[in-house]
Amino acid sequence: MHRTHTLSPAAARVRLLALALLVLMLNGCASMKSAWLSPGHPEAEVERHHFPTEKGNDVIGRLATLRLEERDTLPDIARHFGLGINALSAANPGLDVWVPEAGKQLILPLCFILPDVPRKGIVINLATMRLFQFKGDGAVQAVSTYPVGIGTRERPTPTGSMHVARKAARPTWHVPASIAEDHRRKGDPLPAKILPGPLNPLGDYALYLSKTGYLIHGTNKPASIGLKASNGCLRLYPENVKVLFNNTPTETPVQIVNQPYLLGQRDGILYLEAHTPLENPSSGALEQEKVDARLRTLEKKAGRPLDWKKVKQVQAEARGIPVPILALAPGLELASVPPLEVGHPDKLYGSPEQPELRPGAWHVLAGETREEIDARRLAAIINHQGPQIPARVLPKSNGYRVLAGPFNDAGEAREAARRLKVDLEIDGIVIEPARETAARH
Amino acid sequence: MKIRTMVIAMAAVLAMTLTGCATSRQMEKVEADQKLLDAKVEQALQNAQVAKTAADEAKQKAADATSRAEQAEKAAQEREQLANEKMQRADAAFQKSMRK
Repeated sequence: MHRTHTLSPAAARVRLLALALLVLMLNGCASMKSAWLSPGHPEAEVERHHFPTEKGNDVIGRLATLRLEERDTLPDIARHFGLGINALSAANPGLDVWVPEAGKQLILPLCFILPDVPRKGIVINLATMRLFQFKGDGAVQAVSTYPVGIGTRERPTPTGSMHVARKAARPTWHVPASIAEDHRRKGDPLPAKILPGPLNPLGDYALYLSKTGYLIHGTNKPASIGLKASNGCLRLYPENVKVLFNNTPTETPVQIVNQPYLLGQRDGILYLEAHTPLENPSSGALEQEKVDARLRTLEKKAGRPLDWKKVKQVQAEARGIPVPILALAPGLELASVPPLEVGHPDKLYGSPEQPELRPGAWHVLAGETREEIDARRLAAIINHQGPQIPARVLPKSNGYRVLAGPFNDAGEAREAARRLKVDLEIDGIVIEPARETAARH
Repeated sequence: MKIRTMVIAMAAVLAMTLTGCATSRQMEKVEADQKLLDAKVEQALQNAQVAKTAADEAKQKAADATSRAEQAEKAAQEREQLANEKMQRADAAFQKSMRK
């Protein structure tokens, strides 16, 4: 049985008014939402690793900016935003890596031109210190990208085609003879093998390449990503290598290239991205000549003049940021997409933890300085060792002290002092717990 | 004839005497004028010396200020260079420590 309610005209008016009020309130919420997302307000997140890529488009991602806060360091920001320290330093020249000025706007170079090679499997560009992993076939592909650390000038990472021969989680590092010899010479002899754990430089995951002796692996020194610091292997942040490891089957092709000057187009605009060439200037000049030749061809094809002064400026500055240089079709504007302003996260991912001060613990005096900035820099460098050696700055009457610790016992403190000596050539002084010292007096 | 000659000689002597008197007065005036001029010159010289000393002092002060500014600039440059060197040394030490 249905019951039909007939509203009186007054009740109908009240209901209509309530409905109107509700609509207005919801509209108010929508307006507020749009205000929250207005261009002036920083975004909480920015995509840093995974991008769709279409055929004909070679540029992925978008530049972002971040306002620096007190106690920030560039390695911490680099890791949080999936960048190498090389990329962050190049995009922000002149900035102190360890004690950058708070309040300054930092460019996050999260825009990349894909290397000029077939988009298949894993591609690593040594010059940009970046790895690209391509997924999917056909017109629409996806690409994941991560920063890497590469080989030193003495032991460079080889270029060429290879593939993933095998993979290992929690790998054991069998120390190569050449590295064992290096360590023996600097008074830091290594065992024949290092088991999984915090002292293992391979980290938790390793992909062994078909070129014998070369691996893509994690690291126990995350601050080395974006540096030429390995013995030829490719290092990734621990969180990145885990994803890569899980998404990469054996036999995946790996192409390692060295392309400091990259050309690419997106939506009809030609971009140029320049990096400082890795090796001798003559090889850089050769690469530059190749790119210039391609640019001349594209200029002719587009039928419009290229701003060569700008091209040379981009190449000379080598900031690693794609810069629009030519509209390839009539009617297109040669304007840069404005960078996305990102809000500063409360905690930067992976940044070193600072244990509480414990006067009753063991410490190592790592240095004394007159200027606070020098002390902060030293403490930051010690904090970013792998594994971390916690360190802090303590003011004294006429300067500052850098104190490493706290350590639970004398052994830990002595081991930290040994590492400070071997890795940073610091003659640290082991400090006994305050309680014990007091008891003796 | 003798008398005539004598009169002429006396007249000449008188004229010469009178001329001599006039020359002495002039000499005195010239001397007075010279003294006055000397005094003025002395004063002018003194004034010039004072002005020169003041100018020299001002010039010295300006030179000192320029020198101090240059020294301050040099010191600032040295400090900046030192800071950069410290920064680079720290970075180099860090990069070395990041090797396996």
